Amino acid sequence: MDWIDSILAAAQPILVSGIVLASLYALMATGLALVWNTLGIFNFSHGVFMTLGAYIAWQFADARGYGLGLSIGIAISVAALAGLGVLFNRLLIAPFLGRKDIVLVAVMTTLAGAFFLENSALLTWGPRIKQLERILPGNIKLMGTAISLHEFLIIVLAPLVLLALWAFLKWTRPGSAIRAVGQNRDSALLLGIRVNAIYALTFAISAALAGGAGVLLGAIRFITPTMGTEPLLKAFIVVILGGLGSFGGTIVSAYLVGFMEAISTFFFGAYWTQAVMFGLFIVILVVLPRGLKGRD
Amino acid sequence: MTQPVRLVWPLVLACLAILPLVNADSYLRHVVIVALLYASLVSSWNLTLGVAGLFNFGHMAFFAIGAYAAAISTQTFGLSPWIGFPIAIASSLVASVVVCLPVLRLKGIYVVLVTFAFGQLCYQVVLNQRDITGGTFGIVSIPPLQLFGHSFAENLNLGYYYAALLLLVLSTAYVKRLIASEFGRTVIALRDNETYAVSRGVAAARNRLLIFAASGLFPGAVGALYAFYVRSASPDLFGFSLITLGLSMLLVGGIGTLWGPLIGAAVLTVVSELMADLGPARYLVIAVMIVAVLRFFPGGLAGAGLPLARLFGRATGKPREQEH
Amino acid sequence: MTAPLLEVRALSTGYGRTPVLHDISIELGQHRRIGLIGPNGHGKTTLLRAISGLIAPWSGDILLGGTSIVGAQPAQIVAEGLVHVAQANALFPHMTVQENLRLGAYNKRARAKSDETLERVYELFPALRERRRQECRTLSGGERQMVSIGAALMAQPEILMLDEPTLGLSPKLKKELCSAIERICESGVPTIVVEQDINFMLRLTDYFYLINQGQVTAEFHADQSLDNRQIMDMYLGLD
Repeated sequence: MDWIDSILAAAQPILVSGIVLASLYALMATGLALVWNTLGIFNFSHGVFMTLGAYIAWQFADARGYGLGLSIGIAISVAALAGLGVLFNRLLIAPFLGRKDIVLVAVMTTLAGAFFLENSALLTWGPRIKQLERILPGNIKLMGTAISLHEFLIIVLAPLVLLALWAFLKWTRPGSAIRAVGQNRDSALLLGIRVNAIYALTFAISAALAGGAGVLLGAIRFITPTMGTEPLLKAFIVVILGGLGSFGGTIVSAYLVGFMEAISTFFFGAYWTQAVMFGLFIVILVVLPRGLKGRD
Repeated sequence: MTQPVRLVWPLVLACLAILPLVNADSYLRHVVIVALLYASLVSSWNLTLGVAGLFNFGHMAFFAIGAYAAAISTQTFGLSPWIGFPIAIASSLVASVVVCLPVLRLKGIYVVLVTFAFGQLCYQVVLNQRDITGGTFGIVSIPPLQLFGHSFAENLNLGYYYAALLLLVLSTAYVKRLIASEFGRTVIALRDNETYAVSRGVAAARNRLLIFAASGLFPGAVGALYAFYVRSASPDLFGFSLITLGLSMLLVGGIGTLWGPLIGAAVLTVVSELMADLGPARYLVIAVMIVAVLRFFPGGLAGAGLPLARLFGRATGKPREQEH
Repeated sequence: MTAPLLEVRALSTGYGRTPVLHDISIELGQHRRIGLIGPNGHGKTTLLRAISGLIAPWSGDILLGGTSIVGAQPAQIVAEGLVHVAQANALFPHMTVQENLRLGAYNKRARAKSDETLERVYELFPALRERRRQECRTLSGGERQMVSIGAALMAQPEILMLDEPTLGLSPKLKKELCSAIERICESGVPTIVVEQDINFMLRLTDYFYLINQGQVTAEFHADQSLDNRQIMDMYLGLD
C-alpha cells in the first residue's frame, strides 16, 4: 500500500500549509465582509490596511525603527489601524452615502485610498524589503511537518480572534447595533442608533483585523508596499465563495480557499496556483453568484 | 452648438497636427504621445464604464493584452509589426468578449469583481509563462514600427506621434458616431432605466455584449502602438496603478461624456508630468484628486459647469443621477 | 401658555427634487391623540419621516416642546422621546425577537428601564414571549408588526407615531393588534396615527388632519358628529 502512504505523506504538509493560509485569509476576509454587510460597500483599501499594519509594527518594534519591542509595536499598529479605519470612513465613504451609485463610487474612492497609502508606504519606508521578528521563535512539528511556532500561533490565534468578534457581534450592545444597521438602516435610525458612528466603528474593527493579519504575515513574508494586494484578492475570493453577507459562510470559505490553494500548489506548483485561484473565482461567480449560502 | 464653439475641436486638432513642425523638444513630444495614447484608451473605456454604465474594471487588462500580443508576435515569433497590430486588436477584442460573457449574468459589485479578477488572472498567467512572456521582466527590445524603410522613431518619434494622433482621431470619431447611433441610444437607455428599456423590447444581454466588443477594439490598438513605441511590454500594465490612473482620467474629465475623457487624459498626463520630480508623491496628489472630483464635481470637468468645459462638454444623454 | 408637545409649522419637503409636502402645519398638544388621514401617496408617511429626522425639511420648522428639532439626528430625536414606528417595518430579520426588542431600548434614557419594559411588552403581546428566541424573518406579518411596536415601546416614547400599524393584516390579527394599540393609546402616551381604517381611527384618536396633495385640507374633532360617509367623501377628495 505504498500509494496510500505516499498520498498521506503528501497530504500532511498540504493540510498544514493550507491551514496557515486559511487562518490569515479568514482574518482578512471577515473584516472585508463586515464592512460589506454593514455599509454595503466593498473596501479596496483593505489590502493596504494589512500592509500598513505590518509597516507600523515594524517601525515601532524593529531596532532600525524606534526599537520599542514587538508587543508595543503590535499594540500601536492595531490601534493606529483602527484609527485609520475611522478616518477612511470619514473621508472616503461618509460623504458619498446616500448616492444611488454608492457601490461604484466606493470602489473608486477606496481604490484611490489604497493608491494613496501604497505610495505613502513607498515614500516612508522605501522599496527595501523588511521583515518583522516572529512573535514566538522556534519550530514545532505538526502532523509530521515542521512549521515555525509563529505559524502555529497564527493557526491558533485566528479562530480565537474570530470567536471574540462573533461574541462581540452577538452579545454586546454595539455589536448588535452593527448587525442591526446592516439589516435595516432606516429602522436602526428610528430606534436611535447613531448609524454613522456604527459605520465608523465597523470600519475601525475591520481595519484593525487587517492590520493584525499584516503583523502576523509580516513575520513570515517580506514587508513591501504591495504585500497586501494578493491577500486582498484572496479575501475577495473568500467573501464571494462564502456568500456576501454571511459571517459563518465567510469563515468556512476562508478555510476552503486556504486548502484549495495548498492542494493546487502541491499539484500544479506555486506558479500556476494563483492563476488557478482566479480562474476558480470567475467560475464561482458565474455558477454560484451568491456563494455557498445562497442568500444575498 | 454655436459656430465658434464648433471650431474649438478642429482648432485643437490642427494645433496638434502642426505641433511637431514647431517643436523640437523630445520630452514635450513624448508627453504629448503619451497623452494621445491615454486619450484613446480611456475614451474607449468610457463606452462600457460611462456610456453603458457597466462596472467594467478590466479595460486596462485589455490594453495590456494588446501590448503583450504585439510584443509576443513580433519579438518572440518574429512576425512583422504590421501583422502584430491586427493580432493585438483581435486579442483584446476576444478578451473583452470573454470577460463579458460571465458579466451578462451579474450585477453591481459582482461585475467589478469578475473584471478585476480577470485582470489578475492574466497577470498571473503572464508571470507564469516566462518562456513566452518574460515573466516579471516582461518583453524588451520589441522591433519598432517601420514604413518604407523609415522607423517611426526617427525625427524624435515623429511616426509614433502621428500614429497616436491618427488613432485618437479614429477612436473619437468612432465613439462619437457610436453614441449618436441607434445602438448608442439603446445602450444609454439600458443604463438609465433597464426595466423600462427591457419592457420596450431591448435585448439587454445582446446590447451589453456588443458594447463590450465595441469598446474592446481600441485598447488592443493602443496597447500595440504603446508596445512598439516604448519597445517593451511589462507585467506592470496589469497593475492597480494603471487602473487607478485611467479611472482618474475618466472621473476628472467627466465620465459618460464624449469630450470628458479626452480632457481628463490631457489634464492628468500634464499634471502627472509636471509633478514627475515628486516621484511616488505625485500619486498621492492623483488619489486626492480622484476623491475630490467625486465629492465636489461628480460630473467631472466636462460637467462641472466650468464655462470652458461646458463649451467642450456636450453631454451624451443626461449625466448619471446623483441625487439622493 | 405652554408650548404644544409637537408642532409642525409650514413644513415643505420632498425626495430629490420632487416636492411632496407644501407648507403643512399640524399640532399635537391640546389634542393628545391625533390622526392623519388621506389618500395614499399624498405625504402622510413623508411627514412622519421628516418629523423623525429621516429626511430634511426644505423650509418650515418642527418644534418639540417648543424647541426646534430641524437638523437634529434621528438618534437625538429618539432620545427626546419622539418614537416613530415605520410602515410595514420588518426591523431586523436575522435577529431574534428579543434582540430586536432590546435594540429598541438603545438610547440611554430607555436602557435603565429595559428589563421592566420588556416584561410589559411581553404582557401586551404574549405571542412574542413564546417566540422570543425566533428570528424575526420567521414571524407572520402581524407578529412582526407587534415586534415593531414593542421595540418602539422599549424606547420609552413620550410621543408615539404609528404609520399604518394594521396594514395588510388578516381581520383576526388586526383585531388583536388593534386592542393592544388601543391599550397603548389609553395609557396616556400622546400619539400620532396614520391609518386607513376610519372606524379604528375614530376609536384611537380625537382629532384628525386630512392630508391631500401634501397639504392639510381639513381638520376636525372626532366627536364632531360626522358619519363615515362624510369622512369618506373628504378622504376621497369629493368635498
